[in-house]
Amino acid sequence: MIAPGALKAHSRYMSCKNENKLVAIVDDDDAVRGTLKELLRSAGYASQTFESAEDFLGSGHQQETACLITDIRMPGMSGLELQARLNAERCRIPTIFITAHGDEQMRFQALRAGAVEFLPKPFDDDVLIESVRAALNR
Amino acid sequence: MNHSEAMNDTAGSARPIAQRYALAVATVAVAFGLASAFTHFNLPQPFSAFALSAIAITFWYAGTAPGVLAAVLSSIVRDYLFEPTTSTQSRLLFDLVFLVFALLMTQVLRHRNQLEVRVAERTAELTQTNDNLKREIAKHNKVEAELRLSQAYLDEAQRLSHTGSWAWSPPPGDIRYWSDECYRVQGFDPKAGQPSFDEFLQSVHPNDQARIVEVIDRAVREKEEFEFDYRIILPDGEVRDARSLGHPILGPTGDLVEYIGTIIDVTDRRQAEKERERLREAQADLAHVSRMTVMGELTASLAHEVNQPITAAVNGAGTCVRWLTREEPDLAEAREAALGVIRNAKRAADIINRIRSISKKGESKRQLADVNELIQEMIALLRSEAMRYSVSVRTELNADLPKVMADPVQVQQVLMNLIMNSIDAMKNVDRERELTIRSQWADNRMLSISVSDTGVGLPPHQEDRIFDAFFTTKSHGIGMGLRISRSIVESHGGRLWAADNSPHGASFHFTLSTPVEVGA
Repeated sequence: MIAPGALKAHSRYMSCKNENKLVAIVDDDDAVRGTLKELLRSAGYASQTFESAEDFLGSGHQQETACLITDIRMPGMSGLELQARLNAERCRIPTIFITAHGDEQMRFQALRAGAVEFLPKPFDDDVLIESVRAALNR
Repeated sequence: MNHSEAMNDTAGSARPIAQRYALAVATVAVAFGLASAFTHFNLPQPFSAFALSAIAITFWYAGTAPGVLAAVLSSIVRDYLFEPTTSTQSRLLFDLVFLVFALLMTQVLRHRNQLEVRVAERTAELTQTNDNLKREIAKHNKVEAELRLSQAYLDEAQRLSHTGSWAWSPPPGDIRYWSDECYRVQGFDPKAGQPSFDEFLQSVHPNDQARIVEVIDRAVREKEEFEFDYRIILPDGEVRDARSLGHPILGPTGDLVEYIGTIIDVTDRRQAEKERERLREAQADLAHVSRMTVMGELTASLAHEVNQPITAAVNGAGTCVRWLTREEPDLAEAREAALGVIRNAKRAADIINRIRSISKKGESKRQLADVNELIQEMIALLRSEAMRYSVSVRTELNADLPKVMADPVQVQQVLMNLIMNSIDAMKNVDRERELTIRSQWADNRMLSISVSDTGVGLPPHQEDRIFDAFFTTKSHGIGMGLRISRSIVESHGGRLWAADNSPHGASFHFTLSTPVEVGA
């Protein structure tokens, strides 16, 4: 399921350093992804968007990512699986989950795995921006 | 036998020649015997009288030549046996008497023969006339039998089709012909004889009488055809639906001679139509319930589908407000964000409309529909559901297909059922879960749409039963989806069938007909 590039990127870096304060957005819905990027831009944050977890892992940007905003249910790898993989790679990126149908169990699982926020769609823009700011200022 | 022969020898013709001449000899011999006997007893000698009798008998029964022979023999016998002494003069006199007698007999015979010929001719004529008459009678009988048969067939046809026929001369005339079926349909007793127009009117439902009279009056005035529906009240109170048609027959000068027409009992037909209508409604209800059941199963996925554009719209609204509330508001950016809000709100509304149109309970509406569009819309609705079970959706749609005449909601219901079944069949398999939807040409101006999966496949040995009502392999199904899908497809003139998919899974195929091109 993982693109070959992702494995290569992983082998090059043993851990990630979150140096460049990049915000990554992973969502399979074009409109959600695009508007989220615009929202962050209006708040003064640059971000990069990815259509799937595989795309993100394959991009090699996870090392520079200071904050990850990801959907949970997506074709292919889910947001929770992405989180688990990053954790396994010792790349603990502060992660904000956004989901249309998250239940309590899912929320608990995400937060236990180190998520900084678990937001049901649609979410309050102020809450999201605040979470991003908190993640970047860690 | 020709006439000349008959005339020549009618009397003796029946006997052989030897017998005829023997008669001459025998009669003369008898005359001689009798004369000898008379002589023996000294009675007056009467040979000549006996001889004349012998000649007459021979002529009558044996014909001319034996008669002449009898005359000659008589002459000889008389001359030589009875009166040998008689003078030549008296002998000649006697011979003359025999000769004249013989000639007379010849004439008598000739007249008799002519008479017989005339009688035979007359008889032949009579026989001929008789034969002709017999032939005429036979022909007449045959025609009559055919007519009776034809009438029987017509009666039977009228009975089977509940159609009676009648002829009617408009006032001051009256009903001139009223077929057996008319009696039956209209509830009249055939024994009571042909009904009058007034009697006919009285058997009609009171609320229909005035209208019928009006329709007929107008038709008679215009010398035109008429047609009306009405109710009959039978003597036992039963009400039946009927329809009557009348066709005017005009004379050579264009004057109205009579109307001929029919009475049709349409009660059963009406009843059947009502039943069909009720059945259609029941099927529509069932299809609607089935749709709602599936939509119920889809609630979570559909909510997700609607939630995405709403999330995007909310994001856009937040963005817009941020650009506006900065120290230096950026109107261009705010405008761009607001346009995005509109776009996404519309997208949400579109999805809701699509869900509503499928959930709506409505009459079947046929229209020209693009099957590829219907497939794409259904995939858009079920995308989340497919994603939920990690099913990838692939399409192979032939873009050149013409539109079909179909009810879009019903076709989408079929697609929805098939796709949901496919997703269901793949939920628990470990191999790659792939759903493939194809649209292509089939035979005879039909389009074919197929939904294939890599799931558990058809239940073994029950391939045919899956289309039965209440047959299900699912723990949560009621087993109506495929049954309803098949009846929808068949009501569109198509077919729905299932096949095993190689190497795994099942394929469901259905066909839809394309409308015949007008003027093509």
